[in-house]
Amino acid sequence: MNVSRHSETPASDPSAAAADADETQRTTTAQRDAPRAIDVDGLELTYGDGTEAVSGVEMSIPRGEFFGFLGPNGAGKTTTIKVLATLLSPTAGEVRVNGFDARTEGRKVRSSIGYMPQETSIDPELTARENVRFACEAYGVPRGERADRTDELLDLVDLVDVADKEAEEFSGGMKKRLDAATALVHEPPLVFLDEPTTGLDPKARNRLWEYFRRINDEGTTIFLTTQYLEEADQLCDRLAVILDGEIVIEGTPAELKREVGGEVLDIDVAGDAHAETAAIARDFEPFADATVETTDEGISVTARSARQHGTDLLVALRDAGVTVTGFNVREPTLDDVFLAITGEPLDEETPDEEGGS
Amino acid sequence: MSAREDRAVGGGVGPSVERSTNTFLGDVWVNFKRWNRKAVRNPFVLVISLVQPIIFLFLFTEVFGTVAGDAVNRGIPGISYETYLVPAIAIQVALAAAVTSGVGLVNDIENGMFEKVLVSPMNRAAVFAGKTAAEVFRIAVQVSIILGLGVLLGAEIATGVVGAAGIVAVGVLFSLWFVAFSNVLAVVTRDQESTIIGANLLQFPLLFLSSAFLPLSVLPPWIQTFAALNPVTYGVDAARALMLDRDVMTVVETSVFEGTLNAVVPGVAVLTALAIGLGAVAVTLLSRATSSDVQ
Repeated sequence: MNVSRHSETPASDPSAAAADADETQRTTTAQRDAPRAIDVDGLELTYGDGTEAVSGVEMSIPRGEFFGFLGPNGAGKTTTIKVLATLLSPTAGEVRVNGFDARTEGRKVRSSIGYMPQETSIDPELTARENVRFACEAYGVPRGERADRTDELLDLVDLVDVADKEAEEFSGGMKKRLDAATALVHEPPLVFLDEPTTGLDPKARNRLWEYFRRINDEGTTIFLTTQYLEEADQLCDRLAVILDGEIVIEGTPAELKREVGGEVLDIDVAGDAHAETAAIARDFEPFADATVETTDEGISVTARSARQHGTDLLVALRDAGVTVTGFNVREPTLDDVFLAITGEPLDEETPDEEGGS
Repeated sequence: MSAREDRAVGGGVGPSVERSTNTFLGDVWVNFKRWNRKAVRNPFVLVISLVQPIIFLFLFTEVFGTVAGDAVNRGIPGISYETYLVPAIAIQVALAAAVTSGVGLVNDIENGMFEKVLVSPMNRAAVFAGKTAAEVFRIAVQVSIILGLGVLLGAEIATGVVGAAGIVAVGVLFSLWFVAFSNVLAVVTRDQESTIIGANLLQFPLLFLSSAFLPLSVLPPWIQTFAALNPVTYGVDAARALMLDRDVMTVVETSVFEGTLNAVVPGVAVLTALAIGLGAVAVTLLSRATSSDVQ
């Protein structure tokens, strides 16, 4: 299952493979002298109980990039990020972070990265200011710069007003923001954000996105894992999708969407005519290359000529006696990418349904 | 975009890599400060580890004072029960305060600070040294408070200020094995309730089945047997010897030293060995918990 999926993806679209080769070419010449932010070769990690969390991950991330790492729960995102942050030692493979070997130069790696783990990690008994201050001291920010740096970061994450309150009283969103501030005290050239907005309401999420964009604009490389495809689409220069411990596809959000092969025509039908509708769409001549999926409301057709021949299909459906209650032609989203790659949608929770803040 | 390129091309290994000003002692100090600050803010730490022994001190002297005083005077004539009890309460404080070390570690694991510290460039031995130093410092302060209160209640420290300092030192030494033990519980259970329950369940049997509250000679034989194996007996006897300035060690008979030291030296020796033994177990478990090796 894994193997077929892995080999299928690059082979199925020659243009994507060409783009990959292009990318490699460009970066090797431009970045020959400076080490890349992250270089991973053949990373494998097997837990003591035999679980193969990561098997053969390759990754090369240039400095300054906003890189997104996507995948469903349990695909190996957090394991990979923990290896990069030196919290886990790889079973096999080469891992270089900021030019340092993650295995033998752990301390150098640690002083050159910021890490915001999936679970909010702040000391609830300390105030916001004390939390940031402790991080300054832990990362050896020079004594004279600590006060300014602390004020600056509290300002960045909008916690100046509550700077001297104990973090225990903070909302989920405030805690996340404080956590983000503590990961940035030493102005690291590379920051790991492991699902930084999971569990936050949309407002708190947008606010964090703004901070991440800002530090990325200032030159910081960002490695972000997320379950929210919209988040990846909004923020990332480049994405990789991991499934069952292997990277199955990699590229810019636009490239990944192109991978889907066309545009998406969603058709809503009345009653329970879903299967019948899908059958008609599959037999429909102009959509010979299309993929047809049934959805909750009706069907979803992905085809290069979706816009051109969409109305013809609607006519054909009417002739067959199917009542169409709605339709829409749209650009593919990363959700469609996921569907195309994995055969099932990413089980993301919609932001609006969650509590938080 | 230009800023990005500047960094990519001219940044070399990265701007902040070499700016770390950390030293081993600096790292110890940073963690020492953090844990002291937390101790002051955490009601659990203060209430459980100081107020409870103080309540014991008052209740025991008030309720059992007369009866227990007679029993005590049968063995050691002419001392009040307050004087007899204060060294035991000092050891109780050390025991209760030591539990908070493991509780602190579990809290850190639960709220993510443990991992946060691991991912920082701080020296890991320094991190634990700083935390332990803060706990030992607090135990020394708390034992001193108990001694002060005891004197106010009428207890007498026969060896004076030097002896009092000695009792504080015995209290600190005594706490080490339980500090180590509570950290072992913390690493193994990784759960706050289990750590508190595990450590507290042990606390009372350890205290009562020892020479803490009554002389061993008036207790049943099975308790005397258990007490001889109980670290609390060695801590209490060493502290009490300093309090009374006489050899009150009943479980180890020796006369190679002079008077009081015949009780203090064996007690200190046993406690040191115990601290090293359990300390080694704790250090082993902690270094396994902090290592990046896949488990």
